[in-house]
Amino acid sequence: MIKHDIIIVGSGLAGMQAALEVCKDFDTAIITKVYPSRSHSGAAQGGIAASLGNASEDSWEDHMYDTVKGSDFFSDQDAVEIMVKDAPGVIRKMEHFGCVFSRTEKGLIAQRWFGGHSKQRACYAADRTGHALLHVLHEQTFKHAKNIKIYSEWYLMSLIVKDGICRGMVVYNIQKGKLEVMQAKTIIFCTGGYGRAYKITSNAFASTGDGIVAAYHAGLPLQDMEFVQFHPTGLFAQGILISEAARGEGGHLVNGKGERFMEKYASAKMELAPRDIVSRSEQTEINEGRGIDGKDYLHIDLRHLGKEKIIERLPQVRQLGIDFLGLDLIDDPLPIQPTAHYSMGGIPTDSDGHVLSDEKGTKVTGLFAAGECSCVSVHGANRLGTNSLLEALVFGERAGKAALTFTQNAEFHDVNEQEESNKVKNKVEAILNSNGKESINDIRNELKENMTTNCGIYRSKDQLEICLKKLNDLKARFKKGKITDKGFVFNSELIEFIELGNMLEFSEIIARGALRREESRGAHARTDFQKRDDDKWLNHTLAFKKDGEIEFRFKPVVITKHQPEERKY
Amino acid sequence: MSETTFKIQRFNPEKDKETYFQEFKLEIPKGATLLDCLNLIKWTQDGTLTFRMSCRSAICGSCSVRANGHAVLACKTQASSVAQNDQVTIKPLGNMEIIKDLAVDLTEFWKKVEAIKPWLMPDEKKETQTTERTQSVEEFLKIDKASTCIMCSSCYSDCCSMAVDKSFLGPTALAKAQRFVEDSRDKETISRIKELSEDAGIWDCTHCGECSQRCPTEAKPLDRIVSLRTVALNSGVTNNYGARHAKAFVKSIKSSGILNENTIPVASMGFFNIPGLLSLIPVGIRMFLKGKNPPLIHHPMQELDDVKRIFKKFEEK
Amino acid sequence: MKYALYTGCVAKGAGRELLTSTYALAGKLGIELVELKNVSCCGAGVITEENPELADALNARTFAIAEEQGLNILNICGTCQGVMKKAQAHLDNDEDYKDKINETLKEGGHEYKGTVKIKHLLTVLTEDLGLSSLRNKVTVSLDGLKVAPFYGCYLLRPFETSDLDDPDNPTAIEVLTEALGGTSIDYEGKLKCCGFPYLMMKKKQSITMAGNHIASAKKEGADCMVTPCPLCQLSLDPYQPESAKEIGQKLDIPILHLPQLVGLAMGLKPKELGMQKHVVSTNKITAKIGC
Repeated sequence: MIKHDIIIVGSGLAGMQAALEVCKDFDTAIITKVYPSRSHSGAAQGGIAASLGNASEDSWEDHMYDTVKGSDFFSDQDAVEIMVKDAPGVIRKMEHFGCVFSRTEKGLIAQRWFGGHSKQRACYAADRTGHALLHVLHEQTFKHAKNIKIYSEWYLMSLIVKDGICRGMVVYNIQKGKLEVMQAKTIIFCTGGYGRAYKITSNAFASTGDGIVAAYHAGLPLQDMEFVQFHPTGLFAQGILISEAARGEGGHLVNGKGERFMEKYASAKMELAPRDIVSRSEQTEINEGRGIDGKDYLHIDLRHLGKEKIIERLPQVRQLGIDFLGLDLIDDPLPIQPTAHYSMGGIPTDSDGHVLSDEKGTKVTGLFAAGECSCVSVHGANRLGTNSLLEALVFGERAGKAALTFTQNAEFHDVNEQEESNKVKNKVEAILNSNGKESINDIRNELKENMTTNCGIYRSKDQLEICLKKLNDLKARFKKGKITDKGFVFNSELIEFIELGNMLEFSEIIARGALRREESRGAHARTDFQKRDDDKWLNHTLAFKKDGEIEFRFKPVVITKHQPEERKY
Repeated sequence: MSETTFKIQRFNPEKDKETYFQEFKLEIPKGATLLDCLNLIKWTQDGTLTFRMSCRSAICGSCSVRANGHAVLACKTQASSVAQNDQVTIKPLGNMEIIKDLAVDLTEFWKKVEAIKPWLMPDEKKETQTTERTQSVEEFLKIDKASTCIMCSSCYSDCCSMAVDKSFLGPTALAKAQRFVEDSRDKETISRIKELSEDAGIWDCTHCGECSQRCPTEAKPLDRIVSLRTVALNSGVTNNYGARHAKAFVKSIKSSGILNENTIPVASMGFFNIPGLLSLIPVGIRMFLKGKNPPLIHHPMQELDDVKRIFKKFEEK
Repeated sequence: MKYALYTGCVAKGAGRELLTSTYALAGKLGIELVELKNVSCCGAGVITEENPELADALNARTFAIAEEQGLNILNICGTCQGVMKKAQAHLDNDEDYKDKINETLKEGGHEYKGTVKIKHLLTVLTEDLGLSSLRNKVTVSLDGLKVAPFYGCYLLRPFETSDLDDPDNPTAIEVLTEALGGTSIDYEGKLKCCGFPYLMMKKKQSITMAGNHIASAKKEGADCMVTPCPLCQLSLDPYQPESAKEIGQKLDIPILHLPQLVGLAMGLKPKELGMQKHVVSTNKITAKIGC
């Protein structure tokens, strides 16, 4: 059995931030299914929010209000307040680590406009902000290599929680083809989001919600899973992210009639309204036949920005258009469509990242979570652009600090190594020895199609019932899934198999949660319940696994400074 | 549309003693990337085919493979662009051991990145965490390009110097090093450049340009290595064979406008490097006997004064 | 056809047979060459390491002098060609920079205007003169001769400033060889580095590199290798005995300069092409084609 005081699962921004905190006093390990620099935080492009005020006057209060309003008054305001207050400090910390930020003429960190923010607040590194932050943290883990052991290409198979105490994990060493049991006094989950269940998505192949499902299987609840953010500008057909910075820098969204259609939906903020609103507007345009040539996409037009600005501010976005569609946005508009982007839901935590096991706020001993896999909740029903990198850094750090304190007096708890290992081993062998004939590729494609069509930007009772029925069928077929790679070393087919199982599992939670929530709020838009209903639904959803079924409970939204009001942009 | 043959190198350590090629036929869908095609093969023809991937938007650096002998980022490469006569050969990256099929062992690669101490070393005394440090746009631009590296190891794979000397730090690590050496916030410029000037460092590159050619980002390692050499030469870190050679070369041009091949070997080896100088004797004799040696009397160029004037002008700057 | 010949340093030094064979071939093909004698070294990518602007200024001066004569530059060294093209790109892509560099040339009475074309002998032969014209002039067919082209880095990379149509899959030397009646062979080392730049500093690595490439050409049945870069020739020929020893294989592959190969087909005698100066004897191949 492998032992570390603290083990962090996931090596994105949240994971590495946490590691850098806890490694000060403890023997720390990070396990990642990829390599740290491959984590999906690196794909974030446009910026990270902080009220530095380098471009214009700003305050944490404004940042807080924007975030709460963006969330459709569904975020926990105590947590939001913490995040926006910590923001300038965490940016400075990254700058001191050596992050390569773009600069103003005065040499300060440059800031740009972003959707839903009332101030020019997004600090950026060209359009590679996530990449710049991810690599600067990776650099710091090299600096502290003595205290941080990184297990790259190790895959989480199960989380061991018993009697409310988190004890360890079973993990697959992909390169060596071995199952290992790991024991820790403290585990921090920073395992990322679950956008891969959608057909058009900006998410990496790795974003399959493994950590979230492991927690759910270990008996822990999942919060607000029905809130899935669709980003307004996914590259047509590929779903690859075209940063919101493209609109922040002044890009126009144009429909098939050549109109800047956002005028109809958000006349004040136009293209810089929050993502849920812009994506819905796009979908409406498409549904009503005003896509480009009547098809299911629209244009983002940046030509008026000029070559110089595009090359300086949006080099990556430009390159993506060239590489994937053969279009240079200096000369051509790019075809775009909404793309599944961010998971607002996840593992419930308090504002120190401590995982909560129920609606009463009972803490799970020794388990923390931060970043996209967690639900604090600072994003509520809709996240503002640039708040995700911020959340990962702020709550990664807070979870790290809290874990550091917790671990001072913590001990290793018993793990029945043989039993835990066997449970997973049996499951793996059952998969490898199965002579099922169902193509997992087909099942995965149908899942993604199903979620996009029936549980996407717009939802209704009828669609969601179709969605759930289809999910049921797919689950049955998945049990007869076919696997051809029977080896243990680097069995990527086996991992894809397990990932698909995870996606089927959480997809049902998304769909059931969406069916239950009879209102429209933020990213959750019901065509049959078009209004927000604060009387009935100003409550977080908690989903528990109970006898193979999903049991739903409520948890109140924390409101401190800002009472819910109508959202206008 | 015709089918393309994907000739893919396979190896499963649990079964195979040696690598072999397997052919897959696939109609390349319009606009499909090489990664899309590898996935189509895996998902519809052979689930055992193993390769790495994650972001599929050219930022995570997972999916580099060799297509027709050269490293490419599979997700950034249109499959049709590498198909020649309806065929493309796919192999794992070079200069690394194979784990399975197209997945290679990155252990040494990361060790070399770690070896250059890839973290900022600021002046701790001047540090205050309460404000950000300023950096001018010009200072930022010096490190901007290197910072676009995605650690895909394409350059490392195709580095010719690495192919004959596994101890070479290699293009990825050196490009990363440049990002710190020329960061206005780092105070260890000289100690870093001294370490980088040691054996297996910046002077072990032959500037063949493969690294920059295969780099899928703006990091372009060769340009970064040249920058590092410039820093070394201009900060007096010259007590090593590479810098000596460069200095001697420039000196030769300055004094006669064209290269004096008779003096360069001696100057590069170092005047007191007796074994090194002795090693030149056999080839010297061989060339002399054939009349292939440079003329013993070196003739400078015509209008040397104008060239000297230009040199002087730049030295004054 | 008239060009300003930029000899480069090596053709005046340890590779004088390159200059000998160039003049012999030019005479045969009716190409008039005006040797630039008042120009400096191109810097070989080394001066630029100490001072990039100085390197560009020296090259701009060379370009200006060719422009003053109303001639395009013909290079016979792949390295000079690559370095010059890169310098030209720096100047042409940035008007302000060009002005700044021209400022330093002013006192010497020169100004780079941007009109000069810089060509390597290889493309002069394949494009300006043309393959069919060459084919008509062949008097000694290279029939049966298996030629391994060795391009050299600078003629290829970076691709943006390369003269060749498709520097990732170049064919210029191949089609030239076939036009002369010979057979070109493909092999592993064709587009790789010869190791010359660090020959003086990392001899073991350098000669291993060269040795591997020669061995890979030999494995594919090459009778000889031909290169458009005299630095590659220096690495592949004089050091070949050491390379062979280092990699533990017998090599013995003659390494020809480009104009030597073409010259042979044009009926020039090996001695007129300076082939007696090679360390690895070229007798086997001259015997094979019967001259």
